[in-house]
Amino acid sequence: MEERSKLSVEAEQSDKATILIVVGRVDGSSVGILESAVQEQIDAGHKTLIFDFQDLSYISSAGLRALLIAARLTQKEGGKALFCALADHIAEIFEISGFNEILDIRATRTDALGAL
Amino acid sequence: MGKPPTQVLVVDDEEDLELLVRQKFRRRIREGDLKFLFAHNGKEALEVLEQNPEVYLVLSDINMPVMDGLTLLGQLADSEQDVQAVIVSAYGDMKNIRIAMNRGAFDFLTKPIDFNDLETTIEKGIKHVQALQIALETRDRLVALNQELEMAREVQMSIQPKALTANEHHDVKAVIIPAKEVGGDLYDFFFIDESRLGLVIADVSGKGVPAALFTTVTRALLRADVSRDYSSPSDCLTLVNDLLCESNPSCIFITLFFGVLDLRTGELSYSNAGHNPPRILKTDSKVEVVPKTGNLVLGIQPGHTYHNKQIELRPGDTLFLYTDGITEAEDSKSEEFTESRLDEKLAELAGTSSERVATEIVDAVQEFVGEAPQSDDITCVAARFLAPLPVPS
Repeated sequence: MEERSKLSVEAEQSDKATILIVVGRVDGSSVGILESAVQEQIDAGHKTLIFDFQDLSYISSAGLRALLIAARLTQKEGGKALFCALADHIAEIFEISGFNEILDIRATRTDALGAL
Repeated sequence: MGKPPTQVLVVDDEEDLELLVRQKFRRRIREGDLKFLFAHNGKEALEVLEQNPEVYLVLSDINMPVMDGLTLLGQLADSEQDVQAVIVSAYGDMKNIRIAMNRGAFDFLTKPIDFNDLETTIEKGIKHVQALQIALETRDRLVALNQELEMAREVQMSIQPKALTANEHHDVKAVIIPAKEVGGDLYDFFFIDESRLGLVIADVSGKGVPAALFTTVTRALLRADVSRDYSSPSDCLTLVNDLLCESNPSCIFITLFFGVLDLRTGELSYSNAGHNPPRILKTDSKVEVVPKTGNLVLGIQPGHTYHNKQIELRPGDTLFLYTDGITEAEDSKSEEFTESRLDEKLAELAGTSSERVATEIVDAVQEFVGEAPQSDDITCVAARFLAPLPVPS
């Protein structure tokens, strides 16, 4: 049960997008929580997602893969996925892996909402 | 095609139980749904069971000559066969019923036997036995699957070279401590021609069989491309990436560093597809980060162009490649090993052999982790440039 508590994903609706607040660690054992949170929004017809990573402490390659899939899913539905408020060490993971080139990353949630 | 009949063995020294069963279940016997076998004491029952391993349910009386029902139960409990037993006893004979249940009987019936009770009990017994069968088959499949996974892991490990024979020009050593699950990390090294040495380290997203397959395919593609027509690390990665992207619906990706060390000059030409930047351990204990080439992981963006960079290794310098299984190894307090611990430990190992560098780093990681479970492969390659190969004049 400890596995579950290390990651939580909360959804907040705004008029332009659904904000997913990701808190904790995304790794191989917790990535399912993030995947189902994304799927839930897509199923509910919410196709524009903003991931707020302010309290994301760690993301593994399995987590990056889930973000990539989220970006592709939303795109397929005619929406998009944005990612904001990355801490320095998270930004570094995005930079090393090159994901900053293919995902839409914004400094703050306000920036992300403004970009829609 | 129906499934074979469920077989039930009836054990009683008197004829009445046999007659009752034959009469009561005649329709289902005729339809091939049930098949009954009969024995007249415990000893006979064991012989019948030995010859009919498909019997999983036994209905047995208690008082019988030669071997009684309770002794039979004890023997069944000790045998390898998974047989469930229903015991038949006189009404009110709680003592024997208790003994029977304690010896593992599944249920009991009392005499005089009630038809409906008999049918319900046999029905229940059959269902129970069938559920057990399914559980056993599932367990067997799981065991087989685990064996196959174990073999897959052995194959995966065996195709990776352990070390190159060192000579006065180079010294290469790899260490991999795989996590429990198959998948994960990859390293490779090979000579492209007599003077250029290819060095690879990679880490696939996720674990398990899909990850392992992706890793193996990546290695094969890279090797094939290099042996066919090598021009530069970035050209190789651009091609391998396009091939991987062609059929990757599940968005698996792999981070990969590919460096080529020219042993004539010490020049390292490399391209880095999203992998943790390797280190150069200088003879004076300085640890330098190999500059990024700013490239994306392999497998998700077709048409991506990978770039090359060059750095120079001086004689005695060691190129150190690693995966995040090292820097992100966690101790029991969830503290990570981190790059700074890695760099610190590397600095202590300046001027030593690749064997020492690789093994001591891994030792340091394992010591740091202590009793905490290993969640990721721990992989590193140390490649030391010793002295330039003579250039033919």
